[in-house]
Amino acid sequence: MAGGAVRPTTATPVRRILALGGHDFSFRPPDRAVCQLLLRLAGERGGERPRICILPTASGDTSEQIAGFYSAFGERSCEPSDLSLFRLGRRPVELRDHLLAQDLIYVGGGSLVNLLAVWEAHDIASILSLAWRRGIVLAGQSAGAMCWFEAGITKSSGKPLAAAGLGLLGGSLCVHYNNEPERRAAYLNAVSDGMPSGYGLDDYAGLLWEGEGSPSAVTARRGARAYRVSKSAGEVAESPLPARFLPAPAPAALREDIAEFRRIKTMRKRAGWLG
Amino acid sequence: MESGNPLLDDYVLGLTRAERPRVCFLPTASGDADHYIVRFYRAFSAHRCEPSHISLFRREQGPSDLRRHLLSQDLVYVGGGSVVSLLGVWRAHGIDSILREAWEAGIVLCGLSAGSLCWFEEAVTGFHGEPKRLRGLGLLPFSNCVHYERGAMRGEAYHRFLREGMRGGYAAEDGAALHFTGAELSRVVASRPEARGYRLDVTGSRVVEMRIATTYLGDRDAVPAAPLPEALSTAPAA
Repeated sequence: MAGGAVRPTTATPVRRILALGGHDFSFRPPDRAVCQLLLRLAGERGGERPRICILPTASGDTSEQIAGFYSAFGERSCEPSDLSLFRLGRRPVELRDHLLAQDLIYVGGGSLVNLLAVWEAHDIASILSLAWRRGIVLAGQSAGAMCWFEAGITKSSGKPLAAAGLGLLGGSLCVHYNNEPERRAAYLNAVSDGMPSGYGLDDYAGLLWEGEGSPSAVTARRGARAYRVSKSAGEVAESPLPARFLPAPAPAALREDIAEFRRIKTMRKRAGWLG
Repeated sequence: MESGNPLLDDYVLGLTRAERPRVCFLPTASGDADHYIVRFYRAFSAHRCEPSHISLFRREQGPSDLRRHLLSQDLVYVGGGSVVSLLGVWRAHGIDSILREAWEAGIVLCGLSAGSLCWFEEAVTGFHGEPKRLRGLGLLPFSNCVHYERGAMRGEAYHRFLREGMRGGYAAEDGAALHFTGAELSRVVASRPEARGYRLDVTGSRVVEMRIATTYLGDRDAVPAAPLPEALSTAPAA
């Protein structure tokens, strides 16, 4: 943007990040609830058919992750797309234009170290930071949640170890918190040893930052929690945060042809045509 | 790893001079794509070598000591894909310095496409949109261009980059392989009778392209290995 004379400007967009401790794109209720939240956040910016793009970089752009994403969002009211940096050869895309045209950018899980390395090689970090400042919602689970913080605990090298993120959010994040005890233990040790304090997120718990201030916690599964992890007087303390429960929406109505296909499959199974 | 054509695979295995060479595949440039890893194990099957692979996206599953594993190999095979992503991920895991060490220890390094570009000082990548210049690991003090087929956008870009100051180097058509010993080209071999390698240099503002005598590795139409022209046996001034 050009500098110079001060002009009346529209309000600064609200910067939003949704960090998720872990989830799938399955049709089970907690997964549906998470996808519903993503869709709602995207819709608050993009209206009826918001644009949602997955960056599956941390997984090495696996087909499973990309297919899972489309199975969750393909039939919903949105425009889903994927930006696979390892597959650009077959499908060139202007990275910057594509990302800045989104309402929500979702980052999939995998290796946090590789995610940051590949993003750096392709100069993605500055684009994401700009997207954030423009009010495009940034979201993700696992490595795709920790990447927004100063640091996270990753198994990118095998054992759980601390690794740096982009640092859009101060402090640190540990995902799969009570689902992977060795990761939580490594986090508590790291914070005790001087890693910036932060948050722990169980699978199906999330933290939503909207503008300045503290995040609000959400949970899509009973018992899944978000924790504030801090160090005071040399002691690391963990305190669960009150979280809003996300009810699962009714399963999306199936498209006619898919419903037909499922009916036939069930019939064939009953008739013993399929193993 | 050409489908149905083991000539270059046989050739690199032969270079190791080991009876049952230890071969490690690095599929990083593909994002450790499963289908590619399967293809490697098919091409380098256990009856003629000891194959393994390292997935840098799934470190919890593979060998924990990357350096030890790589330095115990006879051959390291680097797969194709995005060379930009490849170099980024390698640096994050310290693979770049381990591979230099492996090279200095006499372990044969090979690869195709991105797995060729990575060894050179400079390279032309056409993986994503417009061809671009980039820096490789720099084991070989030349530039490199792959998929150098006639009329390809990449070839034109290579010539332009050379005129703009890129160092001289080597280009290879699909099926042709540039075999270096140390930092010197030993020979060019091919799995397809018509595939060739090229030497490119700049004199003044003109790009001089020289076709290099290429040995077809197949039985039919076998061409005897020609000695290299003198100009090719010495490294160019930097």
